[in-house]
This record gives sequence, C-alpha cells and structure tokens, in this order.
Amino acid sequence: MRRGSLDSPARKAHTMLPTRSRISVLVFLLPPLLVYGAAVLFPILQSLVLSFFSWNGIGDMEFVGLANYVHMLTHDDVFWRSFLNALGYLAICLVLQLGGALVVASLLLSLRRGRELVKTLYLLPAVISTVAIAFLFERIYSIDPVGLLNQVLSWVGLGSLERPWLSDVNTVLAAVSAPEGWRFTGLYMLIIYAALLAVPRELEEAAILDGASRWQLFTKIRFPYIRPVWITTTIMATTYGLRGFDIPYLMTNGGPGQSSELVTTYMYKTAFTSTDYGYASTISVFIVAECLVAVGLIVFMLRRKADA
Amino acid sequence: MKHPLRSKLRRTAAVAAVAALALAGCGTGSASSPTNVSPSGQIVPRQISWLLSRPADGSVITIMKKLADDYAKDHPGFSLNLITTPDRPSYIQKYETLAAADKLPELFDTDATPFAQQLAKQGKMMDVNKVLKDLGLYDSFRPAALDYQRFDDGSLYMVPMQFELEYFWYNKSLFQKAGVSVPKSLNDIPAMCTALRKAGITPIALDGQDQWPLERYVSYEPFRAAGPDYITSLKKGQAKFSDAPGQKAVNWLDALGKAKCFSEGFSSQGYSDAQNAFTSGQAAMYNIGTWELSSLATDKLNAAVRNDIDFFTLPTTPESVTEANEFVSPSGIGMAVNAKTYDPLVADFLKFALTKYPAEYAATGALAPTTNVQTTIPANATPLYQKALDKAKDLGTKQIMPWDTQLDPTSNTRLQQELTLLVQGNTSPADFTSTMDSTIAQNAPKFFK
Amino acid sequence: MITHPAPATTPAVRTAAPRPAPAAPRPRRRARPAAYRTLSRLLVVIIVVAQVYPLAWLFITSLRTEQDFASGNPFALPSALTLDNYARAFAVGNLGQNILNSFIVTMGANLLIVVLGMMAAYAIQVLGFRLSKLVRGIFLMGIIVPVQIALVPLFIDYSKIGLLDTYQSMIVPLAGFALPMSVYLFSSFFEYIPRETYEAASLDGAGPYRIFGLITLPLSLNTVVTVVLVNSIFIWNDFIFANTFVLTEGLKTIPLGLQNYIGTMGKTDWTATFAAVCVTVTPLLLVFLVLNKAMIQGLESGATKG
Repeated sequence: MRRGSLDSPARKAHTMLPTRSRISVLVFLLPPLLVYGAAVLFPILQSLVLSFFSWNGIGDMEFVGLANYVHMLTHDDVFWRSFLNALGYLAICLVLQLGGALVVASLLLSLRRGRELVKTLYLLPAVISTVAIAFLFERIYSIDPVGLLNQVLSWVGLGSLERPWLSDVNTVLAAVSAPEGWRFTGLYMLIIYAALLAVPRELEEAAILDGASRWQLFTKIRFPYIRPVWITTTIMATTYGLRGFDIPYLMTNGGPGQSSELVTTYMYKTAFTSTDYGYASTISVFIVAECLVAVGLIVFMLRRKADA
Repeated sequence: MKHPLRSKLRRTAAVAAVAALALAGCGTGSASSPTNVSPSGQIVPRQISWLLSRPADGSVITIMKKLADDYAKDHPGFSLNLITTPDRPSYIQKYETLAAADKLPELFDTDATPFAQQLAKQGKMMDVNKVLKDLGLYDSFRPAALDYQRFDDGSLYMVPMQFELEYFWYNKSLFQKAGVSVPKSLNDIPAMCTALRKAGITPIALDGQDQWPLERYVSYEPFRAAGPDYITSLKKGQAKFSDAPGQKAVNWLDALGKAKCFSEGFSSQGYSDAQNAFTSGQAAMYNIGTWELSSLATDKLNAAVRNDIDFFTLPTTPESVTEANEFVSPSGIGMAVNAKTYDPLVADFLKFALTKYPAEYAATGALAPTTNVQTTIPANATPLYQKALDKAKDLGTKQIMPWDTQLDPTSNTRLQQELTLLVQGNTSPADFTSTMDSTIAQNAPKFFK
Repeated sequence: MITHPAPATTPAVRTAAPRPAPAAPRPRRRARPAAYRTLSRLLVVIIVVAQVYPLAWLFITSLRTEQDFASGNPFALPSALTLDNYARAFAVGNLGQNILNSFIVTMGANLLIVVLGMMAAYAIQVLGFRLSKLVRGIFLMGIIVPVQIALVPLFIDYSKIGLLDTYQSMIVPLAGFALPMSVYLFSSFFEYIPRETYEAASLDGAGPYRIFGLITLPLSLNTVVTVVLVNSIFIWNDFIFANTFVLTEGLKTIPLGLQNYIGTMGKTDWTATFAAVCVTVTPLLLVFLVLNKAMIQGLESGATKG
C-alpha cells in the first residue's frame, strides 16, 4: 500500500500532455482565475485592508493600525467566548459527521439488500432548507409545548433530564451543533462507505485467518487503508464546521447570553448589527487564520500517525 | 514566496482596494439639501422605490400600492417600487449595506437609531419636520406619533405610518383562579407571578426569541422612577446601570426571574408560541401592542377565552414621576426620505400619498398616525377593540422609547443577551450591572461623539 | 494541498459479499453473526427513521390547521387535514417566480462551477505549468474561507459597477466560492485518467483543446453530476448572498420568498411557510431522486480517487 499521500506523488512531472502551448494553458486557466479573483480573492484582500481601519459604513474611514487586532486578542471577552464555543461546536459536528459516517458506512457493509435505498434516504436531510431544519429542531428541543426529545426522555424514565434544551446555558451549544452534524452526515458517509468498499478483500481474509478480532481488523487493516480518504473528509468537515453559521444564527442567534455564539455569528453581528466593518474584518481574518491552522494541524497529526 | 512582480502586483491591488473602499466611505455628495423642502422644477414622472420592512400583505403596503396606482393615472410613467424585507434583522443588514454603498432609494424605513442619526447628520435624509410643515400636514399628526420618530435633539427625519399602544393583556378567569387582581404597582408583579405559579398557571407569555419583548421590561422601572431622560443619558454613558433607576430595573427583572414569571424556556420561544400560550388560556398575561387587536379583540380569538380577556396599561410605582397614561406608544418603524433623490416628483407624490393615506389606513381598523380620521371598528370586533382604541385619546405627554432603538447597536446586543441571562438566573444583578456599564462605556463613544 | 493515491479497485465489483460489521465496540473473538446482523439491521432502521422523519414532519405540518399547529402536540397526528396553507402560501407569496429565480441562479452558478472548475483542473493537472502548485494552492485556500467576509466588499464593488440587483450578482460569488471544491474534485479525478490515454491521443495528433473535448470531458461525467448536485443543494438554499445583493421582488429566490410569511413584529405564518417549503423543496427533491444514483457513484469514485 502506498502511503504519504500528502506529498506530491513521485511521478510529479509538470505535464501529462507532451503537446501543449503556453497559450493553451492561459486559455484554460485565465477565465477561472478571473472569476475566482473577482468573487473571492479581491474581497478577501479588501477585508484584510479593512481590518486595519475603523469604519461604520457611512462615516470616514480611520486608519487604526493594529488596534482592532489588539482589542480582539486582549480585550474582547465575547470574542474569546465565541472562539471556545466554536471549538466545542466543531468537536460535536466532527463526532457526529465523521463518527456517525463511519458507523453507518460500516453498518451498510453488513447489509445484504437495500443499500441503495438507505444511502438515498440518508442523504435527504441535506436537501431541506435550513429555515425548516432550524424550526424543526426548535420544536424537538422545546419544553412548552413539550417537544419530542423531552417526551422521549419522560417515556424512558429519564424525566429528570427534561429541560428547555435551547434555553439552558449548559446544553444549548450541543443542541445547536447536533442539527448541523446530523444534516450532512450522509455526504461523509457516502465517501467513507466507498473507501471501505475498496479495501482489498484478500487483506481482510488473511487477517481473519491470523485470528484478528473485528476491532483489530478495523484498526490494523481497514482504517490504515482508508486513511487518505479519512484525511480529506476530516479536512472538509473541519473547515465546514469552523465556518458553521446559519443553524445557530437561526435557532438561538447566539443566545442565551453568549452560550451559543460562534466566531462566525459574532463576526456577522459585528458587521451587520454593530456596523463595525473594520473590526468585523479583523474577526474574518482570524477565521481564515484559524482554518489554516486547523488544516495544518490535521495534516500534521494524521501524517505523523501514518509514518509512525 | 519571493517574486518581485507578484509583490508589486499585490501592493497595487492593496492600494486599489483602499481607494475603492475610501471612495465608498466618503461619498456624501447629496444633490439637494436636506432642508430644501420645495425643490424647484418640473414634475417628471419616473419610478421611485421604497425600501421597507413591513408585512408583504399588510395594510401599509396594500394602501400605498393603491395610492401609487391612483397617482400614476394623472402622472403616466410614475410607479412605486416597494421592496419589502419583513424580517427585521435581514432588513437592517440590507439597509446598512445600501447606506454604506450610498445606494439608498428615494424612501426607506428606519427607526430613530444612532445609525440613522448619523445618516441624518451627514445630510442624507430630508428634514421631515420641514417637509410635513411645507406640505401642510404637520399639525394633523399625533404629537406622540411624531415624538416617537424624533432623535434626542428633537429633530425629526422619519414619517410615522402607524400608531400603536402597548398593553398588558390578561386572562380574568386565570387571575381569579389564582386569587390575584390587576397589579397597582410594577412592584406587585413578582408576587402575582408566585401566586399564579402556585395555581399551576404560566404567569406571563413572552416571545424571548425576538429579544425586543424582554427588552421592554427593562425600560419600565426606570421610566417610572426617572422619566424618559434616564435612557437618553444611559446610552451616552452619562448615566449608569449602577444608578438608582438602573438598579431598580435590574432588581425588578431579577425578581421577575426568581418568581418564574416567564415560561420555562422562554428564550427559545417565538412570537407565535407566546401568543398561542396566551390565547389558548395557558398563560395569564401577555404584553403586546394594538397591532394584535385583530387577533385579541375580534371573533378570531379562541372562543374559550374570548370573554375572559381584558387589558391594563403599564402600572405605575409609588414614587413614580410619570403618569398612568404615559407608557409605550410607538408609531412603528418610520419612513425616511432620501435627500439625494428628493425632487419635485418625490415631493408631489409624498403630498398626494400622505394626504390620503391616514383615511385609508384608519378604514382597516388600525390607529392612524394622524388625528383627523376616525378608525373603523371591524364588524367582528369584541367590545375590547373600542376600549383599546379609546386610550389613544387620553395620552400623557411623555412616552417610553423602546431601548433597542436608543442604545448603540453593540451595547444593545449585549443588553439583550445579558437580560436573558439575568432573568434565567445565570448571572447576578451585580455582574449584570458591571458588564453592562463597562460595555456601554466602551461602545457609546463611537456612536455619540 | 492533498492528493491521494487511489486504491485502484472499482467499488461496484464487490458489493455482493456479505461481511461483518467492522466497527464493533470491543474486541470480541467469536461473535454470532446472526445476532450481529439483527442488531445492525435494527440500527440501520433507527437511523433511517431519524433521517426521514423530518421530511415527513414537514409535510404533515403543512397540512395541519393553524389551530392544530398552535395548540396541539406538534408531533401528534393532525386532527384534521387542510390545503388552506397551500392556498395562503400561493396567495401571499410569489412562489412560481421564486422557484424560477432559484432555478436560474442554480443553473447559472452550476454552469460556471463546472466549466470553470474543469478548465482550471485541466490546466493545473493535465497541462501543467511552472507555478501550477502555487495556483492550485490559491484555489484550495478558498475552501476554507467563510463567505460572510466577502459580503461588504462585494456589495460595494457591485454597486460601483452596477451589478447590484441582478442574477449575476448572486451567480458570480456563489460560483466563486464553490469553485475551489470543484477544482479539487476535478483535479483529483483527472489525476487518475491514465497518462497513456493522453499520450496515445497526442500521438494521433490531438492538441490540448481536442483532448479536453474528446477525452477529459466525456470521462468526467460522473464527477460533473456530483459537483452539480452537491452545489445545487447549497445554492438552492442560499440565503446570505441573495439577501445581500437582491432587492427587487422579481429577483427574489426561494429562501427570500419564504420571508413573505413573516408578519408584524416577527409573527410568522408557520403553516403557510411549511407549505411553501414543501412546494419549493419538490423540484430539488425530484432532481435529486432521479440523479441520485449518478451522484452517489460520482461521490464514491471521487472518494476513492480523492
């Protein structure tokens, strides 16, 4: 099995095509670069510039140097609270999406019939609009009128756990993370399922003959084999998790207090409620940096394990 | 990666970005002056737009559409483009980005917020005081409706399109069941809640999700204790929550929370949930304005509670400096007139529309912002409808300004968050006070220079 | 950023063989397969119910009367069914127009995403050039950028060049922000079109344009379907760009149209909203069900090859 998937493959030549011209490269490359530059890169650059200014949108812009960064990192308790929340939110989404995806994908392998149907049904929540999902979960978590979750808890004799999940400062973060994790589990499940299918059967059979347990089979054979795919999915899920916005925004608007405020919702409010565009840009720059660091960490950790 | 050409490119791009943003920031070029209310020249019909935040099928939009059609009959080529975003947070985002790009249309909705005041200071909005006087309409407006739209300095830049009164609606039979009566003083409410809770009744239905309903409660004690000036000083950092009126509010809300006045999980309950709790007879009180008359005082109301519903106005306190007939009487989000695009056509259409609007609006059963028309009581109304409207005839001179239109937006957001925590018992009155005082001290200067 | 060597098996070959669940919680040497199978089937059923339930709930709610919705247990079966909500949804809203607009925006953005994504991936992966790794890195950086940071700058830029309140103002940023993922998926896929295929075509005298049209394009159809469907889900439901860049009623997409059911001071007509959600989710759902197989295949091959 080949490993070190993150290095450029050994056969990295410049080209696959012997005949190509500089012009043809430009013809293919320029249009996408132009659109990407205009819609993504240029605005990011503008944001970066804006992060050194104080600007409310209608008055004069005032250059403040690093003041926004200093304030964000040293004085802003809401920012740090939202940063910690974002990490918690990310952790829950990752467990649900990656863990859930792995479990379901493995379950699917054990099914003999109906795999296609299950896969299709599993993808359905991704199609429903966020507004509907947010409202559905508000109903599920509600206590007055009593919602599904509290009802189920009282049926199974855990009535003491009943609570308004979205109003309780201790449960709200988990409660807003779950729907986000839940709705896209299907996508990741498909990817991981496909990767698991590709594990060579001979390897597994040899391991079983050697007396490997199911757990060993998984940790020693299957998981190493799907590690490259696992890295991709982890990176996808992590960056989407760190960008998570609409479900917390719609369900609790960050509340109660700052209990479910994420860095993204905080940035959005700073820009569009407080009209502090300069400071909001500073927070966006932080989000970009945060994502870069997260991806770097994932790549570093998973690669080290692979090499170990 | 060192590459001379690229770094040069990058520098150029950065400069261009700054220039683009700076240009946008400084674009204050207003074509006409905010005080030049009768622009000279011909009326040239064209399409004008109104960016508004009102229900898509509501009476304001329906009436203005009709009036625009009537006006277009005499002025071919005229049309009124109504761009509505009923969801308020989305609307504010849209309105603020448009302001930042200097692309506000001829007419746009705004509350008398610090942001709007900055727009006015930059000469982007017409002086409505002068406009209405010039059109000869000023005196027909209810003073309270105009006052609601004014900035602190008394200047007026928005036209009120409605007029509402906010009451405490209550369920007589639930009160009876719990053995409580209409509170004489604000201070009686916590004890009432305790009694209602004992009888197994939710004391007050509250839409916690939309934030503004709970924020009303923080304004009540200070208004009774110190009048309307407290919030105008508080928002500038001149008064503090640690002052006596502020402490009254904080301790009262803490007491409301401890007495479990609001339903469990109120902070995640929406508008409809709260109203349903009241109209289905589960909650005993509900603080809402006359815009809900059609749900609360007509035969649309659940028959089981229809005869049990009544209302009282904001209670006073023993040492109250404001009167019982002074409470929250908002005239809703106002309509501002863009100074840059104000021309003979806009002036003429406004005259036409604002002259005819009040009568049409009153015919829908609502209170018009003017006093020269009579509200039509709908055929399916209960007696409460008339009683609710009659209070408008006997209002004092002071009114509570909702704090969400007064505070700078950052402090306001924080206040809403901390209020929920205070009432839920997640923060102490002392912590609440110090958090809010430092937040206001930090953010107010940016908006009230 | 990431390239993976493919475990070169095709998934379709080996689906029939039954196999035990690999993710057993504890090491267990000789578990009874029958018990396992029952347990895993039960789990699958529970999970599927959890996934499908919301759609059913949505649909049932859209048939409830307002009173039933307001007072009753939201999870009980409705006491009476009504189509009133649908009537109100159509009367108040502008559903047909909204669906049409969402369709135009989704199609337009998808066209850009697919065409531009393929072109960039082709240039980077197949043609290759000196700075290709850098360009690839610049594209991939876009995967992690939150869209919200571009709102204010884009708004100002658009208002300067008169793009505000047009279909393009939604299509361009939607496409721009989806482009990185598209470039990534296409270039991962192109990596596994055997080099020999290209060499053979080159020997026959085909240039880069013909090879793109005759080899790369036809081979990538599955990936195209995947990219289109995944992006359609996001674009069909996009609220943030539409709300920022669109003003006129005639250009409003579905998520904006759903706001028409919000009344005074935030009072929302929920049953009508859900009726509207049911109406507006239908086109996407149909497309999804029809193309679902191609999408799953595309995703799967993207996965093993990505």
